Amino acid sequence: MTSTTVRARRPRHTATTRHNWIGAAFAVPALALFGAFAIYPMARVFYISFFDYDLTSAPRFVGWHNYRYLFGSETFQASLTATAFYVVFTYAPAVVLALVLAAGLDTRLPGSGFIRLLYFAPVAMSWVAVSIIWRLILQPDGLLNAVFGTHVNWLTSDSSAKWALVVVSIWKETGLFVILFLAGLQRIPDELREAAALDGAGRVATFRYVILPLLRPVTAVVCVMAIIRGCQSFSAQVVLTGGSFNTEVINLYVYKTAFESARMGRASAVAVLLFFGLLMVTMLQLRLFRSRER
Amino acid sequence: MKHTRWIGAVVSATLALATSTACSSSSGGGAGGKVHLTFWTHTHPPMIALNKALIKEYETKHPNVSIDYQQIPNTDFNTKMLASLSNGSGPDIINMDDVALRGDYIPKNLLAPLDYKAMGLSSQQAIEDKYIDGTLDGAEGPDGTLYGLPTEFNATAFAINTEQFRKAGLDPDQPPATWDDVAADGKKLVAAGQGGFNFLYLSAGQYTQQLQILLNETGGSIVDKAGTKATIDNAQGIAALSIWNKLINVDKVGNAHTASRDATAPFADFEAGKTAMTIMYPWGVGQIKQDNPAMYKNLKVVPLPQVDPANPSGRWYGYYEAVNKASKQQAEAWKFIQYSASQSQRWLTDVNFIQPLKGWAQSPAASSVPFLSVWEQAYSRGRFDEIGHHWNEVQDAVKTAIEDTVLNGKPVADSLKQAASTINEALPD
Amino acid sequence: MTRHLAERVSADLAAPPPVVEAPTDGARPAPRRARRPVGRALVLYGLLLPGGLVFASVFVYAVVSALKPPDEVLASPMRWWPSHVLWSNFAKPFEQVPFGRYYLNSVVVGVAVTLLNVVTCTLAGYSFSKFAYRGRSLLFLIVLATMMIPLEVIYVPLYALVYDLKWVNTFAGLIVPAGTSAFGILLMRQSIDGLPDEILDAARLDGAGELRILWRIVAPMMGAPISALALIVFMATWDSHLWPLLVGSDDQHRTLPVGLAAMQADNAGTTGVPMLVAAAVMALLPTLILFVLLQRRFVHGMTMTADVK
Repeated sequence: MTSTTVRARRPRHTATTRHNWIGAAFAVPALALFGAFAIYPMARVFYISFFDYDLTSAPRFVGWHNYRYLFGSETFQASLTATAFYVVFTYAPAVVLALVLAAGLDTRLPGSGFIRLLYFAPVAMSWVAVSIIWRLILQPDGLLNAVFGTHVNWLTSDSSAKWALVVVSIWKETGLFVILFLAGLQRIPDELREAAALDGAGRVATFRYVILPLLRPVTAVVCVMAIIRGCQSFSAQVVLTGGSFNTEVINLYVYKTAFESARMGRASAVAVLLFFGLLMVTMLQLRLFRSRER
Repeated sequence: MKHTRWIGAVVSATLALATSTACSSSSGGGAGGKVHLTFWTHTHPPMIALNKALIKEYETKHPNVSIDYQQIPNTDFNTKMLASLSNGSGPDIINMDDVALRGDYIPKNLLAPLDYKAMGLSSQQAIEDKYIDGTLDGAEGPDGTLYGLPTEFNATAFAINTEQFRKAGLDPDQPPATWDDVAADGKKLVAAGQGGFNFLYLSAGQYTQQLQILLNETGGSIVDKAGTKATIDNAQGIAALSIWNKLINVDKVGNAHTASRDATAPFADFEAGKTAMTIMYPWGVGQIKQDNPAMYKNLKVVPLPQVDPANPSGRWYGYYEAVNKASKQQAEAWKFIQYSASQSQRWLTDVNFIQPLKGWAQSPAASSVPFLSVWEQAYSRGRFDEIGHHWNEVQDAVKTAIEDTVLNGKPVADSLKQAASTINEALPD
Repeated sequence: MTRHLAERVSADLAAPPPVVEAPTDGARPAPRRARRPVGRALVLYGLLLPGGLVFASVFVYAVVSALKPPDEVLASPMRWWPSHVLWSNFAKPFEQVPFGRYYLNSVVVGVAVTLLNVVTCTLAGYSFSKFAYRGRSLLFLIVLATMMIPLEVIYVPLYALVYDLKWVNTFAGLIVPAGTSAFGILLMRQSIDGLPDEILDAARLDGAGELRILWRIVAPMMGAPISALALIVFMATWDSHLWPLLVGSDDQHRTLPVGLAAMQADNAGTTGVPMLVAAAVMALLPTLILFVLLQRRFVHGMTMTADVK
């Protein structure tokens, strides 16, 4: 059953050409907003990346200098490492956890709404609020060490700070992906699960062979989003460590370079590199999603 | 930026919203004799209250002037300033610290020189004569042009908790005079179950300021006079960071890992009795009095400990009110600053901000300042912090060095060597 | 960016198989029980409930901290419970800063941005999913690409633009630039892709206009993704700090995150800490309420058939 649904590529566009200009018109409001408020400023960022620009005097053309500088900069390379660590150890567990949680929470049993709320509460907290609370929890005399009887300097040592960020971020971000997975699961009809059950498939097998493939559109959104959020994160680092102890991620480096050092050209160059990096990773992800199906 | 205008025009035409909601912008012109000024400061509640009162009075006296007073969160102040200055907007009047003024805004030519004529004076010298020598340097360009007047001027002293001193068998009337004394007293305090001493572990700026205090005493510096080469890893620099490191990691008079890192309450540990000694500023005394009146009774402000008490040094920093060069109301802006600066007695009584006017310590309001003689002495021997291009990158490097050594146990020389290399990368060639 | 590449992304994202939708002829399936409810209940109450309590314990700790006297919040070793409960911490933000005004501003901006996004993203998602026209794939790729640039760097040119529009210190400046999102368009397109064309064609044969089809057929079946979109956009707006900081300077347009940052930065002393925690706790209420209102839409088998009439 699954194999046939998956393979069958429906003819995608049966709408007659009559509708097409209307269809295109539907995209206009979003595209107009993007054009003015995203694409124009983005083009400007690409342009400025070839300049030395301190924001308050006229930009000075420097060619590839900003890019060459970055390839030789230890600070920049350290930020790449910090970002890679953060993304891998935060978002891989968060996405898997979210999928498992969503599968369990996709029910109407009494009290399930309340339980969903428990997992959602961290998502609703702003990073400022999160930092105030978690700094209390993570301080050496705080809740975490008290509960586990440990003496870890969570936020003030090279060895632990990056893990503290991972723990807090998993806690904060998982609920977001739970919502997306739940929204995806909600759209999978009961008939399919029941059919699988009638075929004698177990719960795990049903999930693996029926639910998961049907969830792929949403899983794709979740994975794309996870990588992008991870690579662009900086609120967590700003409020918890301020970038100390090897936690200065790319976006924090961008922010500091742009607004504290007033080196907008260099910051733009980082942004451009990040742009192409993310674009490549996203393509790769999407290809993986496709090839796994083959 | 011409494209923005063009796109702007297109967008306004497309979006009807624009017409209905468009209204104020920051630097409005003065049509028909009406003067509209925008004024930005960082946030500090007592200061905000006094500024609001001063504005109200000024507007009553000058009915054609209206002042739009906006407070920007400290941590975001520079970001907001840069973004608004990038297209020639921004406020008319800016309240800013001397490191930003001397390091960025004056060299980048973003500020209007003090308009002594608008103030009804014959020369810049007429202003300078009123202030303690050197205290206006924080807002002065290399050519001697003055760009601001101080509202808040801080010298650095030290504070002890007299109750904890007594409990540890120490005499509060014999406060530590050197950092070795701080170590010795600290060990006795800690052994008696009292608080010891600690530095503050907040922003990169604050790390750097504290190291600067020690550098001033050891004769060290972060960069050389020309501002082209790091000197932080020389013998004096190593001596400065070693003082810090020894206190925390050898004498263990304080724990850097458990120190409060809450910028909202820089003196939280001192107020809570976790430390019995701290570096102190005039505004801190007011804050402790308000926060914790019980602890305030045991507060004693004493001179800053020295490496060489026979040859003492100190550290100054100040906030100045300055005028945006892009302002279309520069003369009017200076007139308001003049009014604000003329209220030095209220700055002292209401906000505990000392304005370094000659004879301030003999003024009526000063008589209510606690520990006046200590402050007067501190104000007589200060030095502004070092500054340079992209100074925040230097501060970041300093912060990393201190954290590497004090919190992660890296040898002092190694941390400073690393910092020097980062600083050299940031400095112009 | 080659056209070839654009087509491929488009095809990749369109890869999901058609999902057989619930019947639309009004024949409602009988209410169905979850399969093996005992197993499900065991998982839910035995594993997910305790796990959820661990997740939410931090939140409880926040509320408790907000009720503590100032010297106990940062106390070391930590205090589990306040010596006396201080409800006044919750009143202080309103007394010391225009917290109510910040709150109202955030609600206005949050609701407006969310509504704008729901409309623009659903429209664009429908367009990218169900219509063929020249340049569609390229446009979609461009939309996706806007996700890849860090927002902080585009804020400077964006600020210049918004300034020229005279939108500094206006709600328009806070709302309009955030009026659509690439993530939202991606989500809506992915979700609408699962909708069989037959349903749409049937409606067209009945003479329904495209807007009517979108409004009466597509949108109701997209309850779950639209709710997820609304929730996520609202949260992002609610939490957004840098843009509101740049574009709004006065209290009339200051939003909560900027207000909170000001409170955190302003050297208020130890009394400021529990007040700040209390403000932060109050600040998360609207998002929680929105979640409670929308969450049933995320749950399996709840709304679909009921909504499609």
